[in-house]
Amino acid sequence: MSDSLKDFIDTNREGFDDKTPSAKVWSTIEPTLPKMKQVSLWNSVSVWRAAALALFCLSVYILVTRPNPNSTVLASQQKDFTDLESFYSSEIAEKVELISNFDSDDIDQFTQDFQKLDAMYQVLREELKIRPSGKVKDALVLNLLVRIDLLNQQLKKLEERKKPTKQSVSI
Amino acid sequence: MEAVAIQLHQDIIDRCKSGDRQAYYKLYKLYSRSMYNVCYRIVRDEASAEDVLQESFINAFKNLDNYRGDSAFGAWLKRIVVNKSLTHLSKRKLERMPEDDRFDVMMEEQDDFEGFPLAVDTVKAAILKLPDGYRTVLSLYLLEGYDHEEIGQVLGISESTSKSQFSRSKKKLLEILKLEYKNEMP
Repeated sequence: MSDSLKDFIDTNREGFDDKTPSAKVWSTIEPTLPKMKQVSLWNSVSVWRAAALALFCLSVYILVTRPNPNSTVLASQQKDFTDLESFYSSEIAEKVELISNFDSDDIDQFTQDFQKLDAMYQVLREELKIRPSGKVKDALVLNLLVRIDLLNQQLKKLEERKKPTKQSVSI
Repeated sequence: MEAVAIQLHQDIIDRCKSGDRQAYYKLYKLYSRSMYNVCYRIVRDEASAEDVLQESFINAFKNLDNYRGDSAFGAWLKRIVVNKSLTHLSKRKLERMPEDDRFDVMMEEQDDFEGFPLAVDTVKAAILKLPDGYRTVLSLYLLEGYDHEEIGQVLGISESTSKSQFSRSKKKLLEILKLEYKNEMP
């Protein structure tokens, strides 16, 4: 159904909105603007947002850094151990050197014992890499000490054996 | 286009909700002119139209949280403006509908304005000369883009009453225009 009046108004719609309100209208509206309520609402939302973010960051921090104290402890343990190991190893090497200067039948037995301890030491060393713990470290140190003790005993034995020979020669 | 418009204004509306006074002013600037004309067409008085306009904006800004964005913001605001304008009309206790027009009689539809010389200013002036009831229905339908169902809801009348009111208002408008032209061209 055609409607000439409607068509005319639709075409000239802009022309029908020719009136402009005075500035008085906005100046009356402005002081009534709901600022405090809205702002506090927004603030509370942002506070919750911040809280959620802080909680998230804290969780991430805990997750990421949690293994760190352990690993730093382990790292320091490792370092302590490496220092010990190098100290004892040099002692051992020195003593082994001394022993190798002696020609003795006992050396075979001693070498076997010493090799067993050394093999055990290598196993413990691997264990320390895979599952580092204080116990393994203690076992390693003990192994080194036992070896040093063993070397000392062997040296003592060799020294004692040597002495009578010397005496007999001097006699 | 409509969706884009909703999106664009949604940004301003969100800023209003966060208490941004500049955003309120922007929203006012965007809609005050068209809404003022809506008011004026219904209340037919500049001072009253300004009162209704500021009352509408204050109300809309206070209830901005109720605007969910499911319709265009302009349509939501216009509904507030129309309702406030109608309340203003009823406060003036002016007769909204002539007695004999209460009957839901469908008028025979014909294009009375076909070939009639129309000009924006004369049509605008003629609309303002219509009685309140006629003017409201005609404005809501032709200028505010409401259909008869919406007009029925806003005015508390049936859809068919709105249709017959609209037919009568057009006839009345034509009478006024004819009279105007007769006066202009003796």
